[in-house]
Amino acid sequence: MTGFLQQVIEGLGAGAIYASLALALVLIYQFTGIVNFAQGELAMFSTYIAWQFTAAGLPFWLALALALAVSFAGGMLIERVVIRPVEGAPELTVVIVTVGLFIFVNAAAGWIWTFLIKDFPNPFPGGALEAGGLSVGYSTLGVLAVVGVVMGLLYLLFQHTKIGLGMRAVAANPASARLVGIRVGWMLALGWGLAATVGAVSGTLVAPLLFLEPNMMGGVLIYAFAAATLGGFDSPGGAVAGGLIVGVAETLAGAYVGFIGSDLKVGVPLVIILFVLLLRPQGLFGRAVVERA
Amino acid sequence: MSAEGFLTISDLNAGYGDARVLHGVNLSVGRGEICAILGPNGAGKTTLMRALSGMVWVRGSIGFDGADLARRSPDTIARRGVAHVPEGRGTFMPLTVEENLRLGAFTRRGRGTVEADLERIYTYFPVLKTRLRQVAGSLSGGEQQMLAIGRALMSRPRLLLLDEPSLGLAPLVTRELFRIVRTVNEQERTTVVVVEQNAHLALGIAQQAHVLESGRIVLSGTADRILQDEKVVQSYLGYRV
Repeated sequence: MTGFLQQVIEGLGAGAIYASLALALVLIYQFTGIVNFAQGELAMFSTYIAWQFTAAGLPFWLALALALAVSFAGGMLIERVVIRPVEGAPELTVVIVTVGLFIFVNAAAGWIWTFLIKDFPNPFPGGALEAGGLSVGYSTLGVLAVVGVVMGLLYLLFQHTKIGLGMRAVAANPASARLVGIRVGWMLALGWGLAATVGAVSGTLVAPLLFLEPNMMGGVLIYAFAAATLGGFDSPGGAVAGGLIVGVAETLAGAYVGFIGSDLKVGVPLVIILFVLLLRPQGLFGRAVVERA
Repeated sequence: MSAEGFLTISDLNAGYGDARVLHGVNLSVGRGEICAILGPNGAGKTTLMRALSGMVWVRGSIGFDGADLARRSPDTIARRGVAHVPEGRGTFMPLTVEENLRLGAFTRRGRGTVEADLERIYTYFPVLKTRLRQVAGSLSGGEQQMLAIGRALMSRPRLLLLDEPSLGLAPLVTRELFRIVRTVNEQERTTVVVVEQNAHLALGIAQQAHVLESGRIVLSGTADRILQDEKVVQSYLGYRV
């Protein structure tokens, strides 16, 4: 039993990271209906920026804050410059643009920082909290706490600020949002900025666990897709729940299902995506829109 | 035609892409008036409303209280004091009733006045106050139309554009809505342009009316005159009053 709980905790730690990137995906999807394939690469790029600041001698948290600010501005800029011209174009066009962005950002990171792996500092202390035979790494606790804080801040923004209300209005009905005087273009840019910021958090959480290199987020993106699909692409809370479930499922499958082991557990998110799409396409917490005429 | 010309539309062409729907529309609405736009389906009534709020391309001029609204974006026009309640109401379905109303005041500052305006809306539409926490998508059609008009009034508009407020509503509900629109117009001196299939109802509250056909104004006059002109009503509105 203790072993099982231990696995669940490990899974939650991994899941929190998937959750944070899934949250970034959902933020953009909600506002624009775009699945941003470049989300992971943007997160990777942000992480390099944070690394660059620490390499320049800044303390970690300051470096992180600066990287988040740069990511926010960068996300807004990308929306204005890259996405805006294809606004209203068929979905496939927009998807191709985000795939192009994926390749571009990946190559740009390799060009600037090379493809050699870099050590990324872990902001959390090593060691673990021991209780009742369980051992929970401070790093795992830290990851869970950070994702919790990010969620809390987003909740406050969307539910308790005027700008958050405006963003939700844009997500619900862009034409009407314009008619009440909301500058929809800026709200979309803001959505991209927020998503890039949340993605940057995700990248900086991943980097100490793996190594920092341009392809770092590729696998994480697949898990984030699984998380968002499971939770519902239009539900931020669902994306987080989905991320945690995917993380736990992956860890448990790796530990207890003999033939999966650590080699095949990458297949777990794909199986989850497949079954969610078959059984409940809107996801666990997604809205199957109910309206009276 | 009104002498004051609070809203003066001159030689207005408008449409979608290559399709021109309005052909040289001229009309003028006085401050504080209710103006009805009548006409058969496909005449361009909705396009006229969309032209006024910047949702379609326009050529010509839309003079509004000294400014030209033509070729401005919808959010800019909204900020100038034009509130458009679109056909189908444009409700933010997943948001609550209260959130929908607050969005109406999005461009305004000052929390105190927003709270006061909410109370003002509840006096017009008491039913909304009992539904504040409910998601707008769960309201009945009539309640949604009330919400849409309430949302528009939250912006304290100087010009209220109502597109087919009676669409899909029971006759009694429609009558109630028109009564409220007239009350708003009388109490707040809000200028109203209303597009309506139900000519009799619209003419009942309007001072001026214009009949639109195939994108052109074919008849203008006081509401009384148009209402009494039985031949006109029959040929342009398709039924006897």
